[in-house]
Amino acid sequence: MNKIVIGLLLGTLLGAIDGATAWFTPAVRGMLVGIIFGSTFKGLIAGVAAGIFARKVNSVPLGILFGLAVGFLLAFLVALKEHGYYFEIILPGSIVGMIVGWATQRYGYTTTAAQRG
Amino acid sequence: MARQVDDTAMTATGESFPLTRLSVLAALRSQDGAERARALDILFGAYWRPVYKYIRLKFSQSPHDAQDLTQGFFAELLERELLSRFDPSRSRLRTYLRLCADSFALNEIKATSRRKRGGEFVHVALDFSAAEEELRTQAIDPASIASPQSLEDFFEKEWIRSLFSAAVEELRGVSEAREKQKAFKLFEAYDLTDEENISYADLAARFSLPLSEVNNQLAWARREFRRIALERLRALCDSQDEFVREAKALFGVSTQ
Amino acid sequence: MTSLSDKALERLRSSEAADFPGSRYKLRELIARGGMGVVYAAEDLKLSRRVALKILDTPDANGELSSRLMREARILAQLEHPGIVPVHDVGVLPGGRAFYTMKFVEGLRLDRYIVQLDSLPQRLRLFLRVCDAVAFAHARGVLHRDLKPANIMVGSFGEVLVMDWGLAKILREPSLSRDETLITYGQPANSESDPTQSTVITGHGTVMGTPGYMSPEQARGETEKIDVRSDIFALGALLKFIAVGGAQGKSAALPRPLLAICIKAMAESQNARYTDVSAFAADLSLYLDGLPVSAYAENFLERFRRFYKRHEVAILLIAAYLLMRALVLLFFHR
Repeated sequence: MNKIVIGLLLGTLLGAIDGATAWFTPAVRGMLVGIIFGSTFKGLIAGVAAGIFARKVNSVPLGILFGLAVGFLLAFLVALKEHGYYFEIILPGSIVGMIVGWATQRYGYTTTAAQRG
Repeated sequence: MARQVDDTAMTATGESFPLTRLSVLAALRSQDGAERARALDILFGAYWRPVYKYIRLKFSQSPHDAQDLTQGFFAELLERELLSRFDPSRSRLRTYLRLCADSFALNEIKATSRRKRGGEFVHVALDFSAAEEELRTQAIDPASIASPQSLEDFFEKEWIRSLFSAAVEELRGVSEAREKQKAFKLFEAYDLTDEENISYADLAARFSLPLSEVNNQLAWARREFRRIALERLRALCDSQDEFVREAKALFGVSTQ
Repeated sequence: MTSLSDKALERLRSSEAADFPGSRYKLRELIARGGMGVVYAAEDLKLSRRVALKILDTPDANGELSSRLMREARILAQLEHPGIVPVHDVGVLPGGRAFYTMKFVEGLRLDRYIVQLDSLPQRLRLFLRVCDAVAFAHARGVLHRDLKPANIMVGSFGEVLVMDWGLAKILREPSLSRDETLITYGQPANSESDPTQSTVITGHGTVMGTPGYMSPEQARGETEKIDVRSDIFALGALLKFIAVGGAQGKSAALPRPLLAICIKAMAESQNARYTDVSAFAADLSLYLDGLPVSAYAENFLERFRRFYKRHEVAILLIAAYLLMRALVLLFFHR
């Protein structure tokens, strides 16, 4: 499995799980489906971005940092749109980004020159 | 008091002279008179020929004058304790001795009369005729070795010749003592000859020996020669480091 | 006193070279002296390259030592592997002395090189390269029988070479008589003062090995019992030496699984050791990858610690996420 696919799958999964934890905030339970959908999509984007970065740069610390940056940015945009819940959205989103950034560095393969043809 | 220099410095059994504890320089400073005397023997034995030949060629001295200068140089070496000023970190011993001989010979030649030496001096009895014969057979043109580097090279070569000659004589004694005269004869016939293209098979035929025997005997003789030569070299060096360097330069080998 | 000519002088200064007239090799410098022969740095005039030339330097009354040297060269010639010093040529001098030439290795002996490596994984990976070479030799039916730091060189480009196969034994030679497995030496192979650096030969000529590296069966002179596991014993001792970083290191500082691997390789009983070098190397590779090794049974705590170390980053990230979620729940709940 290549790094982009790993990033995509893991980002999607973690994004969904992260979105589902909104259930613990009663005030937003009513929008749970939308939150899960949005968080999943956010995770997918972060995962693909991390996967692409991992193909170019082979460094676990840099991968984690990149994931953090992408996760933070996407989470920030969502929080901005929601006009609130900044910590609840940005902090977990950043950490999800870090996890995906680490995983794409550690696992998966990059395409070889032969495969690139 | 005349001292007879024993070139080979061998004991009665033909074994090499055991100056194993101290180098020559250290032994010269020893309180033990016998130790000092033995060290002088070794020093003179190693250096008188190169000094003689050097003075003969560089200063174009007659054999008689070169003999006097050589004798005088070694006497001066002792009287003025020139070796006490030698610093091994600055030069090799033979370079230092050559420069001292240079300086001595120059001064003596410039002087209108020989200096009279008061008190005790050492007259060293040396076989100059043999050294003169060597020079004659070598047929060296003094002009060809006039530059400082070639003079240094010449002195070094003569010093090696002196060292090796003494080692060969010692090997002869060792071979006799150990009843390996055959080995020495083979060594003489193969390694000391100027003959080219002599093969082991030729030696085997000449000495009526199997080829393997020729091989083994030569190997023994060469090993013993190297051991003796390195022992003599060690006695002339002031430190292990110096010895290692000199051995490498002499044989192109390590000291093991 | 004998008067020496210039020619005689030159010949005496390079008395080995006297036996190489017109040959393609020019001796340069003696680099090692062993009990049976000497090794010179030499120049191959035909190919303009430096070689190491090993030649007999001991009386060889019946030609047996020449045969041994040729045999050593033939063994080496069969072992074409990047980790085994290659043989280039064999020959016999006019006097009947055998010689062979091999690659001239510029580098450091392992015992001197290892002190430069600070990291344990680096040292272990270097050891695995030695295992590759030895496993290859075993696959060709050749035992080294004298593996030790002094017989391993690390070249200037980091290449690892197993040297000095003078005590090697071919396992598959038919009807090995006792004489075939014995090599007679006059003196120890090395003149080092450290006893663990000197190959020991008994008075009656049985090949032994080096104290600290030779297996119990070698030490007892049970030559018929010597097999690949004897080399594994030596490799175990070598691993310990490498892992602690040289002669001055302490084995008590080694992690337990690694120490267990060494202990298994160096078991008193041959049956208790690894069966072959591949199994040994595989266990060491597992250790390097942070996985459980066959030589060591972990308790729960050790297993957890190893798991944690292997997945430390992921565990910390997930823990950070969960902790942060818990904090958000507790303090930012609305």
